[in-house]
Amino acid sequence: MNAQLRSNLEERLAELPDLLAGHLLLSMAAILVGIGLSLPLGIYAAPRKHFSNTVLNIASVIQTIPGLALLALMVPLLGGTIGYAPAFSALMLYSILPILRNTIVGIQGVDPAVLEAARGLGLTPRQRLWQVELPLALPVIVAGLRTATVWVVGAATLATPVGAPSLGNYIFAGLQTRNWLSVIFGCLFAAGLAIILDQMIRLLEVAARDRRRLLAVQVSGALILLTTAAIVPSLVDFSPPSSPAQRAEQSANRTDTATLDGLSVRIGAKAFTEQYILAELMEDVLTDAGADVERLDNLGSTVVFEALSSGRIDVAIDYTGTIWATIMNRSEPADRYAMYAEMSGWLYEEHGIVMLGRLGFENAYGFAMQGDRAQALGVTSLADLAVTGERLQVGGDPEVFTRSEWINTRDTYGLGALETRAMDSTFMYGAVRDGEVDVITAYTTDGRIAAYNLTVLSDPLGVLPPYDAVIMLSPQAATRPGVARSLAQLIGAIDDETMREANRLVDLERQTPAQAAAWLYEEITE
Amino acid sequence: MISSAGPVLELRRVEKTYAGGVEAVRGVDLTVDRGKLLALTGASGCGKTSLLKLINRLEDRSNGEILFEGRDTLEHDAIALRRQIGWVMQGNGLFPHYTVRQNIAVLPKLLGWDAEQVRARVDELMHLVQLEPSEFCERYPAELSGGQRQRVGFARALAGKPDLVLLDEAFSALDALTRDALQQDFMRLQSELGFSAVMVTHDMAEALIMADEIAVMRDGLIVQRGTPKDLLTAPADDYVAHLLETPRRQMRAIKELEG
Repeated sequence: MNAQLRSNLEERLAELPDLLAGHLLLSMAAILVGIGLSLPLGIYAAPRKHFSNTVLNIASVIQTIPGLALLALMVPLLGGTIGYAPAFSALMLYSILPILRNTIVGIQGVDPAVLEAARGLGLTPRQRLWQVELPLALPVIVAGLRTATVWVVGAATLATPVGAPSLGNYIFAGLQTRNWLSVIFGCLFAAGLAIILDQMIRLLEVAARDRRRLLAVQVSGALILLTTAAIVPSLVDFSPPSSPAQRAEQSANRTDTATLDGLSVRIGAKAFTEQYILAELMEDVLTDAGADVERLDNLGSTVVFEALSSGRIDVAIDYTGTIWATIMNRSEPADRYAMYAEMSGWLYEEHGIVMLGRLGFENAYGFAMQGDRAQALGVTSLADLAVTGERLQVGGDPEVFTRSEWINTRDTYGLGALETRAMDSTFMYGAVRDGEVDVITAYTTDGRIAAYNLTVLSDPLGVLPPYDAVIMLSPQAATRPGVARSLAQLIGAIDDETMREANRLVDLERQTPAQAAAWLYEEITE
Repeated sequence: MISSAGPVLELRRVEKTYAGGVEAVRGVDLTVDRGKLLALTGASGCGKTSLLKLINRLEDRSNGEILFEGRDTLEHDAIALRRQIGWVMQGNGLFPHYTVRQNIAVLPKLLGWDAEQVRARVDELMHLVQLEPSEFCERYPAELSGGQRQRVGFARALAGKPDLVLLDEAFSALDALTRDALQQDFMRLQSELGFSAVMVTHDMAEALIMADEIAVMRDGLIVQRGTPKDLLTAPADDYVAHLLETPRRQMRAIKELEG
């Protein structure tokens, strides 16, 4: 147990330099550009009553958009780009309101008598601004800057799902793999960073107010040191992401070689255990073939697809039913093979994405109940659920209740009387085991189904679509046969049983995804 | 510095109408002779402060002419004009984030004097307004009494060696003792330095004590102009007589007590 804790701690610490650097750079860039925009805008707006009300209203509306939504919205707004750009844009927008509002309020709050004295003495408008208005408004402006800093450093943890590494990686990954140490790590470091930056700004204000040059130099020095210390380690072994054009050229030069010698391949993964394990597995396979692998974990579900089609990532694992419903917007049930055929044609024609093949297992939505309770109520299939006469509660991830699978199931089996309760997928297995909900929309490969003695209800009318796990290649990756050849050994190699076991190793045995992937790799190559 | 001929300031048929249509000043003629103090008085809303602000172009006049040193103020650059004319306002016009030294040094610095000249001028002015530099120059306005603040206000207004000083209710916010001391000091400064002054005050007693000439305003017009003695002996109408009644009554009360 202690050894496990230690290795967990060591792994988390090893990730820290990159994540802290990413987080710090992202936050600082957003705040600096935020200041650059809002300060001049505030100065211009302050004497103009009507205009200042208008810009404040616009900034307030932006502020009311939840952080995660704003970040996610930036991805399609920037044409499907993921990573630094959408995260930066959203956080920068987020920093505007507090700085803008306090600049306007601070300047408008300067004593009119002092301003009249300044005019009467013969100060020009510019001199009045720099010598009177800004110095007197400074404490209020700095208060806004500090608010913005704390907000932005906090919200930057949400950059993880759009593909920008941040301290949020700890939180998202930790939540999904029930690694609470990782979650605490993310929270503590994000909070610590916010406090440190906040205090540094406060000291800068003190230095400016009391004209303490030495203090100003010291704090600026500390800030620069902090930033460099954060950036330099990641710069040393940093290979700049090449543009799609360069990468296409790179791949063109290599079409004749089977090995992936030094070729960079980026693997994307969504934010749950199975995805982490499979990403690790693909990393192992591709690294063995000589590729230089980069990973982008914890991407939002649709972000993975956007990133794949824009070529920001090269490889990802997705599920046929998910693509069918959320990408192709199809709601009718379809036969497994017909669906696969239609889908692979559509993906290639519409997006240039190649479906390399099925891994062999299916991770479907399955309605699961606690075994004893199912027996007591005499429920074995979805059809039985409608006639128990009990007020039953269904727990599921927030996505599922808006999807056609749930809607079709509900309507087909007459489950309209069931009460739905959305929760994070990590918690639903425990919730159904402990009787907090009666049914959950489980993922059929989850190790906890067997471990918690859950019964998956049958679907006699075939409403639930198949969810075959498939390997998908970006348009660029598809032009490199080496990638496909290396990954081909995974096709058909992992059955339901094997995947469930790998998931169980992480979710219940507390192994790391890397350890589970190593086990899986051995199983496959045996 | 002081040009020889003619009055410092001359106002001819000056009018001021605000954007909302309020006529604050409706045709005023005035002259301020070199080295003299003119008091503008009248009830609040009579237009005296508006008139004062037209002189250094804190407001722009609607009609008429204002000649400063023989030249129309509109021909002066507004910023340069304000730097040539001293400006003292009621109570709180000091910059709260500047020390006493920095407040007094604002104008000399704007005029581009070198650091040594500025330092010497600040010390000289602080002695003039009877504030010991070693004790007061590093204090902030919040650390001063009302009277001390107003002295700093005078020093700041006089820093650029102006020919003309404008005072807007400069003594109003002070207690009676301090007010009296500062009035005396200001008159001493004026006679020592020889500048001219226009002073807005609602206090007729103050005008009587300090001014060489008093202009009484009502509804944007001057109803009477003359020396304090002229006013006391021959008030032009009931309004002026009414304004004189307060200081008169105080005087009678004191005399009776002295009996």
